[in-house]
Amino acid sequence: MVKKKIAKILAFRYKILALIFIILAGGLVLLPKHQKYEGIKPEELLSKVISPERYISTDKLADKLINKDPSYLLIDIRDEESYTKYTLPNAFNVPLAKLLDEDSEMYLDQDSYNVVLFSNDSFYADQAWILCTRLGYKNIHVLKGGINQWFKTIINPQKPIENMPAKEFELYTFRKAASMHFGVAYPEQFKGTTVIKKEPTIKKSTKKVITVKKKKKAPAEGGC
Amino acid sequence: MGPLLPNGIIPSEWDSLIAILIGLVFGFVLEASGFSSSRKLAGVFYGYDFAVLKVFFTAALVALIGLFYMDYLGFVDISQLYVHPTYLWGAIIGGTIMGVGFVAGGFCPGTSLCAVAIGKIDAIMYVIGIMIGVFIFSELFVLFKPLYEGSFLGNITLVDSFGVNPYWFIFIFTIFAVILFAISDKIRGKIKKVFY
Repeated sequence: MVKKKIAKILAFRYKILALIFIILAGGLVLLPKHQKYEGIKPEELLSKVISPERYISTDKLADKLINKDPSYLLIDIRDEESYTKYTLPNAFNVPLAKLLDEDSEMYLDQDSYNVVLFSNDSFYADQAWILCTRLGYKNIHVLKGGINQWFKTIINPQKPIENMPAKEFELYTFRKAASMHFGVAYPEQFKGTTVIKKEPTIKKSTKKVITVKKKKKAPAEGGC
Repeated sequence: MGPLLPNGIIPSEWDSLIAILIGLVFGFVLEASGFSSSRKLAGVFYGYDFAVLKVFFTAALVALIGLFYMDYLGFVDISQLYVHPTYLWGAIIGGTIMGVGFVAGGFCPGTSLCAVAIGKIDAIMYVIGIMIGVFIFSELFVLFKPLYEGSFLGNITLVDSFGVNPYWFIFIFTIFAVILFAISDKIRGKIKKVFY
């Protein structure tokens, strides 16, 4: 009895299979289409753009540099000329125009370092940050105020006036010590000797070598 | 996520091993479905057996629909898949030669090797013929070079060259295939039964 029923159904097996085929193909047409994004979704990007979390202050960066924190990777996104003139210690140069090149990808698309982008101020670094974040790169930061702020706060700190809170003095002491670390000479260091003009003598940046494993990208091939 | 090999999810060192495995399974399925018989293969052209047409059409459609579903779900990125480059006139002339050989010899290159494996003498002769053809082509390659490398259209697909919506194209293609299957069944019913 059951066998007969199955046989009855099986007589239509090719028609059933054909029907399944057409339904599956039709399903592709009817499926709601969604836009595919390379990297993260626009909403996510927007919420990250609004949040100030990406900024790292010059003081914090100076602290990390002085303590030789190995997890920080500095990337100078100005052009090569400015980079050779002056840059932060141990910074790499990835000009904004070459940001999306394959060679730059290995510095930016990784999750073992905290990448700090900087330019003369934060404007271009912010642009680079948006490009990188949109592609889903992780741990990308921007140096707040860029090199200008670096000069204003670390290399040439403003001496606080007397009625300022103690915090400011502490900050000044730190910044002054930091500037000494980065090669600025102060007259009081040389008491009794001839007056030395206060001028930032810039330490030459030594290039450190970091091996970042490049992702393998073999071109797909096939044939019959 | 996918395709697995180009994205390095399966290391590229496995390439050859996977190729051999797929080749073994492919050969086994060809033989198991009777495709090592030249009579069955030639049946498409004489109208007494449409198994080849149905099997290859169905395989193409299953792969096509499956891949697009996987692309939709994010398992495979269709744009990363390998598309064979099109050399228009080379393909037309080569296809014609291959078609004539198919009707005359009763094998396509893959199935002929399959039949050699089970010891068919006609298939052995066929493969020797292929080797002679390959030899002639290689020796006279300079002569054939303009045809071989000419009219290059790039790695295009039907979707690219006609600019149609792929989903609709698949749907219409599926209906077309099902109609084709039905017609081939009708033709088969009308033709006198051939025993082979």
